[in-house]
Amino acid sequence: MVNVLTIAVQAVIISALYALVAVGFTLIFGVGGVLNLAHGASITIGAFAAYFALTSYGLGPLGAVAAALLVPAAFGGLLYVAVIRQFQDDPILVMILTLVTSVAIEAILVTVQSATSYTLPVLVGGTLQLAGARINNMSIVMFAVSWVILLALFLYVNRTDTGRAILATSMDRKGAFLVGIDSGRINLLMWVLASALAGLAGLFLAYQFGGATWNMGRTPLVISFAIVVIGGLGSIRGSVIGAYIIGTVEVVTVNVIGANLQGLMPLLVLVAVLLVRPEGLFGQEVDTA
Amino acid sequence: MSSDEEVLEQISVETNTLADWLNPINKPLRHKLGLVGLAGLAALPVLLTPLQALNIARAYFFAMFVMSWDAVSGYTGEISFGHAVFFAIGGYTSALMNLKLGLSPLLAIPVGIVAAAVAGAIIGVPALRLRGPYLSLVTLIVPLILAQIFNVYSNIFGGTQGLVSPPPERLLGLGTGKPVMTYYVAFGLFTLILGILLAVTRSDAGRVFTAIRESEDAVSSAGLNPAKFKIFAFVLSAAIGGLAGAAFVHTVGEPTPNALLDLFVSIEIIIAAILGGMGTIVGAAIGGLFFAVFRGFLGGLAVQVPLLNATIAEVDLVVFALMTLALIYFLPGGLLRGVLVAGRRFLDMVSGATGGGGDGEVAADGGTRVSPLQQVRDTWAEVLGGDDDER
Repeated sequence: MVNVLTIAVQAVIISALYALVAVGFTLIFGVGGVLNLAHGASITIGAFAAYFALTSYGLGPLGAVAAALLVPAAFGGLLYVAVIRQFQDDPILVMILTLVTSVAIEAILVTVQSATSYTLPVLVGGTLQLAGARINNMSIVMFAVSWVILLALFLYVNRTDTGRAILATSMDRKGAFLVGIDSGRINLLMWVLASALAGLAGLFLAYQFGGATWNMGRTPLVISFAIVVIGGLGSIRGSVIGAYIIGTVEVVTVNVIGANLQGLMPLLVLVAVLLVRPEGLFGQEVDTA
Repeated sequence: MSSDEEVLEQISVETNTLADWLNPINKPLRHKLGLVGLAGLAALPVLLTPLQALNIARAYFFAMFVMSWDAVSGYTGEISFGHAVFFAIGGYTSALMNLKLGLSPLLAIPVGIVAAAVAGAIIGVPALRLRGPYLSLVTLIVPLILAQIFNVYSNIFGGTQGLVSPPPERLLGLGTGKPVMTYYVAFGLFTLILGILLAVTRSDAGRVFTAIRESEDAVSSAGLNPAKFKIFAFVLSAAIGGLAGAAFVHTVGEPTPNALLDLFVSIEIIIAAILGGMGTIVGAAIGGLFFAVFRGFLGGLAVQVPLLNATIAEVDLVVFALMTLALIYFLPGGLLRGVLVAGRRFLDMVSGATGGGGDGEVAADGGTRVSPLQQVRDTWAEVLGGDDDER
């Protein structure tokens, strides 16, 4: 007998993490019109930065979170300024360049750190009983932090001037330019922000997957890819909903059908959605984000 | 292509006999150079060690993959991000036919080709309802799905290890023991595919492919059905990819996801095609050969890299990534176009540049010439909406 509540709790938590990854991916696409295949590398970098902050430098939980945010943010910013900016009108080259970058990052990690899995020290211990389901406190913290960030991001985009500038740029770059918005700065902001979110998600995913590995960014990248296409490229709300669809499908598949279909189901859902509604469930919806 | 030369070439084809057309003396200079290059490749084994001959045979297979991609993506502008799926289907089908049913490779390879062509139709027909970036997304997903299927049914497909023990039988008993013969089999297939694709892309159908890349609406309004031509390009490309994949597993390679299905394989061939010159076939062939040989060269270097405490061979992916960045940065139009333009300029200079020939930049509609990559980019921008009038 499969415990429905356990499945539900798992689905809710893992989906929140996926949403964190997918939102960054969709922001870069919405504003710049390009797919960032180095998003997975940001995840890996975040997890390893947190690992070293905890073990080598002994910075404690807050230091680990800061490292998981700042190091990938610097990576994303640098990648944009040094490489992507020159090619940002060319989505195909950007895809190739970001993929090549993430391959290079993975190759460096394998060479320097070898292909072992690094278990991160637990940040928050203990478990909680909730209506018969046992949940790690760490999972609850991850869930809460993810949702706080997602809501903050939503408010930031809709309520602040910079946020509205982001929306304007994703609607019409020329129009945004005419009212004095520097699309280069907005793009840079998106790359930094998206990479930081991915890095934090990397820290959380390292707990979820049981350790930080050199290629841990690949699966979330493919999943976030499925999520943003289902939700509609460029839509924040769509990607949160897409994350919940994919996360639930995945958890249910693993628990009810079998773990070996884990990677397959989200992709099949994606293909089905693409064939029925190529523009995604929410299209490229920019007016309400 | 420069208009005058092309027109003259057309006229000469139509007025002269077949024998005249086949006579290499009547060909333009760049075709002569190409034939000399092929002859050089045919004579190359004399100079090679057995190991080098095998490596270059592998490079031929890689070039075939690149050409099959160029036939559909370079010409019609529908970018396939997962072309490896066809190599894998061709290779795995042929290997399984050989391993499970005991079919000889000579019979198993055609089955692999048919399977890949059918896969091309299965993926192509529904996918062509999608335009631009969405089609590319589907093609990116399909190999991931296939890889998952290989993992789930690893008792048949060998999972991530591939079908290596026992490996599929070698074609005609070739393989590492007969490097020169293997070289010539690979070279023969390479030439055959080059010939087929050149014939198709230089035919009327090829012109329609190019027109689709420029504007699908214009093709429709001329009374031609773009979907029909796109499916033709897709199936042709899939069949050729399947042929290359199937022949690969029976000569120099093994049916493993790493060699045939990995996302990186799909991206490598795109990089090679763009480096060589997208939408030319010849550029794809040159780009593929150059790329594969260059990577082999990097993999063999034992020079220490200062900071990483590793040899270049160990971090060849990093070096390769940096080289790709640099090449795309400096030669966005591809090697072949760069060389052709430079060559024309040089010839004009030598002959004193009498007027009429112009600078080769004149297009029929008086507009500027646009590279295939830019045309794809424009289509994508149109589909995605937003800055529709911005380039």
